[in-house]
Amino acid sequence: MNPVLTLAFVGLALITVATSCSHDDPQSPSYVIETIPMPADLEAETGGLAFLPDGRLAACFTRGEVMIYDPAQRNWEVFAKGLHEPLGLWVVNARELLVMQRPELTRLVDTDGDGEADLYEKVADDFGLSGNYHEFNYGPVKDKNGNLFIALNTASYGGKIQPNTRGVVNTLGRDGADGRRQMFSAVPYRGWVMKQTPQGALEPYASGFRSPNGIGIDPDGNLFVTDNQSDWVETSTLYHVKEGHFYGHPASLVWKEGWNRGSPFDLPIEELDHMRTQASVYFPHGIIANSPAQPVWDTTDGKFGPFAGQLFVGEMNHKRIVRVMLEKVKGEFQGACIPFLDNQGLPIGNNRLAFAPDGSLWIGQIAHGWSGDKGIRRVTFTGKQPMDIYRMSLTTKGFDLSFTRPLDAATALNKDHYRIRHYYYAYRKKPFDEPIDHSQQSNIQQIGIKRLHLSPDGRTVSMELDSLKAGYVYELELHNVKSKDGMPAENQTICYTLNNLLE
Amino acid sequence: MKIKKYQKPIRALLVLIILYGTGLEADGAATDSARTIALEAVSGMQYNVVRFQVKPEETVTLSLTNKDDMAHNLVITEPKAREAVVNAALALGAKGPERDYIPESEQVLWTIPVTYPGEKKAVTFRAPKKEGAYPYVCTYPGHGFLMYGVMYVTKSGDGMPDLAKDTNIPEARRQEQRPARPHPYELSPPYWYRAFLEGTSLASIAVHLPQQLSYCWDMEFCQLRYAWEGGFLDNADLWHGHKNAYAKILGTVFFSDRITKPIRIGEPGAIPRVDYKGYRVRDRYPEFHYTVGDSDVFELIKELPGKRGFIRTIRIPDATEPVWYLFDDASGATYEFSAGVMQKGKVVLTPAEAREFTIQMIKKENP
Repeated sequence: MNPVLTLAFVGLALITVATSCSHDDPQSPSYVIETIPMPADLEAETGGLAFLPDGRLAACFTRGEVMIYDPAQRNWEVFAKGLHEPLGLWVVNARELLVMQRPELTRLVDTDGDGEADLYEKVADDFGLSGNYHEFNYGPVKDKNGNLFIALNTASYGGKIQPNTRGVVNTLGRDGADGRRQMFSAVPYRGWVMKQTPQGALEPYASGFRSPNGIGIDPDGNLFVTDNQSDWVETSTLYHVKEGHFYGHPASLVWKEGWNRGSPFDLPIEELDHMRTQASVYFPHGIIANSPAQPVWDTTDGKFGPFAGQLFVGEMNHKRIVRVMLEKVKGEFQGACIPFLDNQGLPIGNNRLAFAPDGSLWIGQIAHGWSGDKGIRRVTFTGKQPMDIYRMSLTTKGFDLSFTRPLDAATALNKDHYRIRHYYYAYRKKPFDEPIDHSQQSNIQQIGIKRLHLSPDGRTVSMELDSLKAGYVYELELHNVKSKDGMPAENQTICYTLNNLLE
Repeated sequence: MKIKKYQKPIRALLVLIILYGTGLEADGAATDSARTIALEAVSGMQYNVVRFQVKPEETVTLSLTNKDDMAHNLVITEPKAREAVVNAALALGAKGPERDYIPESEQVLWTIPVTYPGEKKAVTFRAPKKEGAYPYVCTYPGHGFLMYGVMYVTKSGDGMPDLAKDTNIPEARRQEQRPARPHPYELSPPYWYRAFLEGTSLASIAVHLPQQLSYCWDMEFCQLRYAWEGGFLDNADLWHGHKNAYAKILGTVFFSDRITKPIRIGEPGAIPRVDYKGYRVRDRYPEFHYTVGDSDVFELIKELPGKRGFIRTIRIPDATEPVWYLFDDASGATYEFSAGVMQKGKVVLTPAEAREFTIQMIKKENP
C-alpha cells in the first residue's frame, strides 16, 4: 500500500474513533473555536478572507497588508502592502488576488513567483469618492459568467464631503432638510451594487443600499447583500439582489439613469415603498443581529456539520455569527435567521467568513473605530451532532420546525414550550432627533398555537397558528424543548421573515 | 430572591432623566448631600472615566452623558460580576430592547437605562457598606466586553491600585500602549501607502524614498503632485477609522506641481485624457503605468544619490508623435532633462527620445 494512503487510513480511523466517542458525551461541544496566531505587530483588523486552492488563507487588514497563512506551518507571509483600507478579497489563483481598496478594485499578481505581489493593476475605479470616512467598498464576488460585483457604502452625516472629490458632486443625494441622521450619496454610485463585466466596464447594477458590509453569491448564482440597520433600514437585512432593483435607502437614487425627481429624500414615502424590493430576511435588531457582515454558504457537504446549503452571516455586535435558512415562496427567497455559536468563545466584530477546503469556517474580526475585535478564529465541527433547529419553513397554516436530533415528544408537543410573536419593521425616514441605533418593532402581537404535531421520525414539529400574515417577522422562542436524549436546543430564538404566504 | 440591604435605596431614590443641555442645575437636586460623578460615553466604546472612588455608604449621583453616536447604558454590579451580568444581558435575547438590555439579577446593583446620543441620565444611590471594586459596564449588546470601568468603595482616600496594574479596567486604558512597529515587517525605504492625502486627488499614493525624501503621486490625474523632505506620514487618524481623516505629512514640502497633466503628446496646448493602469514593483520601487491619450506611459521615481532630489525615468515606448513636458519654474525644484529641446516652460522630445528619458529634479535652495 502507498505509505501516504496508509497514513490517511490510520488518520481516518482515529477520527472515526474520536467522533464516535464524542457522540455520546452530552458535555462535549459540536464545534470548537481556535484563535489563529497572528504575526507580531500586525493590527489584525480583518477586511477580507479567502482561501487559495492549496488550502492557504489570504487575509487583508485595514492598514493595507495582504498576508498569507499556511495552516500546516502556522506561518504568515506578506503578499502585498501599502493598500488603502482593503475590505474584501477574491482569489483568482495562488499567485493572483483581487482586492477591494478604498479608491479602486485592484489585481495583485506575483508575476515572478517569489511569494509577494509585484503587479498592482487597476481593475475598476469608475465610482466616486467624497473622502467621507464611511464610503467603504465591499467585495468583490464573481458569478459564473465572470462578472464581478462590488458594493459601495453611502457616506455618513458624521463626516463632510472633502474638497478633493472624485466624480461629479450631486448634493441632491444628501438630505438637507431635516435628515441629520441620513446617510448620503453625493458622488456617483454610493449606495449601489456595481457589476464589473469581463469586458472591463463597471456598471450600476442595483441601488438603495445603506451600509452593505456583506456581499455573496450562492452556489446557484444568486447575489445576496446584507445591510446595516439605521436610517431607512429599520432593522438589518439580507437582500436578494437583482439587476435594476431598488432596496430602500433613497440616497443612491440620484445616480439612477435619467433621474429627474430632485431629492429622493423628498419623495412621498408611499412612492419609495412601492419602488423598493423587500429584504429576504430581516435580522431583528438587538435580538439576532445589529450589524451583519459577510454571508457565506455552507458548501462543505457535511464537513461543517448538519447545515449544508445554509448561509452563515457575520455579526459585529454579538459574540456570534448568524445562520440563515432560505426557501422560495411565490418565486422569491424568504426565510429564517437564528444565532450560531452563542457563548462558545467567539468574540464580537465577526466581519469576514471563509470556508477552508477542510470544511472549517474561518472568521476574521474587525473594529475600525466601532464596537468589534481583532484577529481570526477557526471553527471546526467535531462530528458531534448539535441539538439545534435545523430549519424553519412555512406551511399553509403555520411553520414546520425541524431539528437536528429527534425530539422528546412530551416537551416538543407542549404548547407552553413555544412563544411566538409577530411584528414588522416599518419603512420610514428616520426622524431628526431619533438615535441612529433606535429600531422599532411595529404591531407586536403574541400568536397562539392551535395545534402541534410531531413527525414519525421525531425531528419535525408542525405548528398550526391562530393566524398567519404576510409582511411580518415571526419570532419563535423555545422554552424547554428537548431532544430525545435530554439535550436543550443550543439556540432558542429564531425569526422567520414572512413576505409571502404559500398559495 | 434575596434582597440586598443596599438595594433598597434604588426604589426610594429617583432615577433622573435629564435631557442633555438642561441638566446642569438639576444635577444637585436629587439630594443635597449627593456627590455627583459625571461620566460620558465617548467614541471608541468607552466611558471617559474608567475608575473612581467613593466612601462606604456615601450618597452618590452618577450621571451618564452620551457623547458617542451609539446608544449606551450603565449597570453597576456586585464585585467580580461584570462578565456574568453582561452575559445575562445578552441572554435576554428578544426581551433585550424593552428592558434596556438590563438583566434581572441580584448581581445588578444600580442602573442607568439606555441613553441615546445627546441624552443625559443619572442615578442616585447610597454606596455599599462593604469595601470593594464594583464594576460598571454598558450592557448594550456587544459593548460590555470593552466598555466598562470600576467604582472603588474604600474608606481611605488612596485605595485604588496602580493604574498600570489595575485589572478592573480595560487593558487599553491602563496605559497608552502602541505597537512597536505599525506592521509585521520592517519598513525600509522605498515603501508606500495608498491613502487620503491633502493637496492631491483622493486616489493617490505616498512613497517614501531613501534620503528622507517622499513624494505624492496622483492616480486620478496621473502625475507627480508634490514632494517633501523629513519624515513620512502619520496615518493614525486615517487608520483609526470612524471619522474623516487624511494621512498627515511629516516633513516640509519643497516641490509642488501646479500644472495639470504635464505630459502632452502631439499637442502641447490641450489637457489630455489620462487613465491610471497600475504599478509594478521594479527593484523595490513602484513604476506607474498610465495612458496619456492612447499612449502607454511608464514612470519610475528614485532618489538622486547624494542630492536633495530625485530622478524620474519616463518611458513612452510606442510614441509616434512629439512629446512635451510642461514645467513650472515656481514649483520649488530645478528640472534637468536627459533629452529634448528646452522651450519656455516646456521641453519637447522626439518620439524616439520619448521612448525613455529622465528628469532630474532637485530642491531649489533659495526659491
